Amino acid sequence: MDHTPKRADATGGSRLAWLIGPAFLGLAAWFVWMAPWPRIPLGATPAFDVGAIVPRPRLAVMTDPPQIDVGSYEHRCDDCHRLFKSSTEKTTGRVQHTEIVFNHGMNNRCSNCHDKEHREKLVLRDGSLISFPGAPLLCAQCHGTTFHDWERGTHGKTLGSWERDNPAFRRLTCVECHDPHSPAFAPIAPLPAPHTLRMGPQQAEVERREASPLAIPFEHHAEPGAAQDEVGTPGGAREGGEG
Amino acid sequence: MTIRIWEGKADGTRSGPMGSGGCASRPGVTRRSFLRGATGALGGMAALVAALRPLKDLPQDALPSLDQFLQKHYKEMSASDMDRALARIRADVEDRFGVTPNLRDVRPMEGVQFAYALNLSRCIGCRRCVHACVGENNQSRSPEIQYIRVLEMPRGTIDLDQGNHHYERARVPDAEHYYLPVQCHQCANPPCTKVCPVEATWKEPDGIVVVDYDWCIGCRYCEAACPYWARRFNFAEPQIPRDKLNPDMSYLSNRPRPRGVMEKCHFCLHRTREGRMPACLEACPVGARKFGNVLDPESEVSQILKTKRVFVLKEEVGTLPRFFYYFDERYPRAIEAEPTGPGAPEIGLPGSASGAGA
Repeated sequence: MDHTPKRADATGGSRLAWLIGPAFLGLAAWFVWMAPWPRIPLGATPAFDVGAIVPRPRLAVMTDPPQIDVGSYEHRCDDCHRLFKSSTEKTTGRVQHTEIVFNHGMNNRCSNCHDKEHREKLVLRDGSLISFPGAPLLCAQCHGTTFHDWERGTHGKTLGSWERDNPAFRRLTCVECHDPHSPAFAPIAPLPAPHTLRMGPQQAEVERREASPLAIPFEHHAEPGAAQDEVGTPGGAREGGEG
Repeated sequence: MTIRIWEGKADGTRSGPMGSGGCASRPGVTRRSFLRGATGALGGMAALVAALRPLKDLPQDALPSLDQFLQKHYKEMSASDMDRALARIRADVEDRFGVTPNLRDVRPMEGVQFAYALNLSRCIGCRRCVHACVGENNQSRSPEIQYIRVLEMPRGTIDLDQGNHHYERARVPDAEHYYLPVQCHQCANPPCTKVCPVEATWKEPDGIVVVDYDWCIGCRYCEAACPYWARRFNFAEPQIPRDKLNPDMSYLSNRPRPRGVMEKCHFCLHRTREGRMPACLEACPVGARKFGNVLDPESEVSQILKTKRVFVLKEEVGTLPRFFYYFDERYPRAIEAEPTGPGAPEIGLPGSASGAGA
């Protein structure tokens, strides 16, 4: 008696089973052959000049006696200056060495550093002569604090090794980074910014909290008690900092 | 499905007319119940196949070899175990990149604690360090993985939320910003190693926090634990151009990483444990980066800690970083505009000296 309704249910179930089986098959076929395989979209690698990364000194240090490149030939200073005694009192009217960019503040006379007579030597303020590789002593006459920092190793760049007794340890001298005639570093172009996975290059302002539509206004972070007095100050400081 | 077949058999015995149309040999199984069960079973099998289908797309080397599978934790490896692991990695690199790497396991030096210092008065935000690091340490070029983030910060704040590392400028530094490069701080009290469920990352005796890429399970807990966002995850198979691979590599630092593991700055330990300087330091064009042994009182970093004003990021979280930021006493030189106008070309005239002299 109670089998009859069950029979009817089973018949209805069997109809469904006929559908479920092919449905599974179709789904499986779709998975195997047609469904796109999820790929992580990758941004293009930014191209930049690897030569911009220079793990070397910026400039070559002068030897003693100094060699100068004139017309792609190496010359000693005295090759010319034996004959040509140029006027050194003023820096106006340079006929030679016009390629030198001169931007060293008030220190704008050749003879402040170069000796008038011995052109292959540098001259200290007391008149004593030093060779070109000894230039840090000359720089120290004005830049004393920086010189002491350099002596301690807290200014400047050390290459080769961090071990002080390692033969490769070499602390660059002043003129291996700074052009003595124009010592300040000129601004340079930065290398490419990071690309975020999936999104490629980013707008510079995307991650700024203020620029985000989801940003919580800064004032909401302030404690309720202090809000009346303090909100103005950090907000103002922030605007000032950005301006 | 099998249960249904047996049910059908039970039903079939009772209802004769339906059973009579079934298989001759199995009177309990009707054609309908057989087809129903068979279709269901086939569908189930197909679904199983579909579920296992991603295995079909696995590259040949995606599954670990037996050696790799049985490889021990770095700290538990004997010398011969390490030799075997190095030989396996070497062969893998040769296979993928066509070069024989100088692969080795570089151990910490005695009596050395590394520290890093960075001069914020000097840094100009040129990102030379970032890309030198990528080249040295064989990071993935696509998707991009970079250990160093250079934050461009508005002057007058150290609120890191105001920093922006996507800045694009024709020239740096910008007059209204300063630049704060952030990388792994190699904390003395590192939160990242504490949360690792498999101890795949730990602090070495010289202070460097390292990752065993063969032990990492890729759970990314350490990434979440790091307050400096210094850890990077390989979401996809790292892509390194064959000609860009740096063959000078060690087990714990810059050997090629598989997909699904964490990586991070390791102070270039394959260089620094052999006395050399980190790549980011060598690339810095302004000498803002300093590295050395903090146990040596005359080393550059010791002198900086003694004589400079030094701070660490997020000191309040108690991580005790060994990456220090410092200033020079004087304020950094005001950045002048590009030399244009009548004053600039007349170089050397006594009157042309700018007032910002040394």
